[in-house]
Amino acid sequence: MIVPLALLVVLLCVVLAGWAAWFVVRDRAVVLRQLWGGAVVESVLVVQAVVAAVLAATDPPAGLSGGLFWGYVVTQAVVLPFAAAWAFAERTRWSSVVLLVAALTVAFLEYRLLQIWGTV
Amino acid sequence: MTDQRPTHRATGTGPGRLLVAVYGILALAATARGVYQVSTKLDEAPVAYLLSLASGVVYVVATFALATDRRRLAWVTVGIETVGVLVVGTLSLVDVGEFPDQTVWSGFGRGYGYVPLVLPFLGLWWLWTTGRTRTDGEAPEAAQHLG
Repeated sequence: MIVPLALLVVLLCVVLAGWAAWFVVRDRAVVLRQLWGGAVVESVLVVQAVVAAVLAATDPPAGLSGGLFWGYVVTQAVVLPFAAAWAFAERTRWSSVVLLVAALTVAFLEYRLLQIWGTV
Repeated sequence: MTDQRPTHRATGTGPGRLLVAVYGILALAATARGVYQVSTKLDEAPVAYLLSLASGVVYVVATFALATDRRRLAWVTVGIETVGVLVVGTLSLVDVGEFPDQTVWSGFGRGYGYVPLVLPFLGLWWLWTTGRTRTDGEAPEAAQHLG
C-alpha cells in the first residue's frame, strides 16, 4: 500500500465528513457539490485499488490475506454511493448525518486496509 | 405481509435513515466477515463462524425491514439481535471453549466499538416511537432541494 495515497483518502474523507457535519449543524440536506466531493474520494479509491492490484501481483507483502483485503476494498467502495442514493431520497438534515457517518466509515476502512496489508 | 400503517411514521425516514445506514454498515461488516470465516477456516471454530454468518444475515434482514418500513419483520429481527448480543456476549465471557474466535456479538460487540450492543436498543426504541407517534401531530421536516 502506498502510504501517501492512503493519507490522501483519509484526509479527503475527514474534509467531506467535516463539510457534512457543518450541514448537520446548519440543519441542511446534502447538496450536489458534496456528492462531487464523494466522487473525488471514489476516484482516489479506484486509483488505490489499481495500485494495490499491481503491488499484490508483483511484490505482495508476506502473509497477505487476499480475500480479506479485497473484501475490504469492495466494501469501502460501496459505502459512499449508498450515502449518495440517500441524499436523493432524504431531503432533510438526516442525509447529512448519513454522509458524515459514511465518510468516517470509509476513513476507518482505510485504516483497516493498511492493517491487513501490514503497513501499520 | 408488508403490514404498513399510514398513520405511523415510516421507519426508514428522517432519523431512521441514520439507523438504517448504521445497520447497513454492520450488516455488510458482519456478513462479509462471516462469509470469509466460514469459507476459509470453518473447521477451526464452526460454532463461532456459523453464528457470525447467521448474525450477519439477521442484520441484512433487519436493515431491509427498517428501510422498507416492514415493522413486524423489523421487530422480530431487531429482537433477535438484542437477545443474540446479550446471550452470546455473556457466553463469550463465561465459556471461551465454544467461542475461540470473535463474532460481532462476542464480548457484547467489543470488536465493533460496542455498536452491536447499542444498536438493537436504538432500533427497538425507534420502532416503538414511530409506532406510537402519529405523523399528523408533529410538524414534518421541510424537504430541501439538492441544488
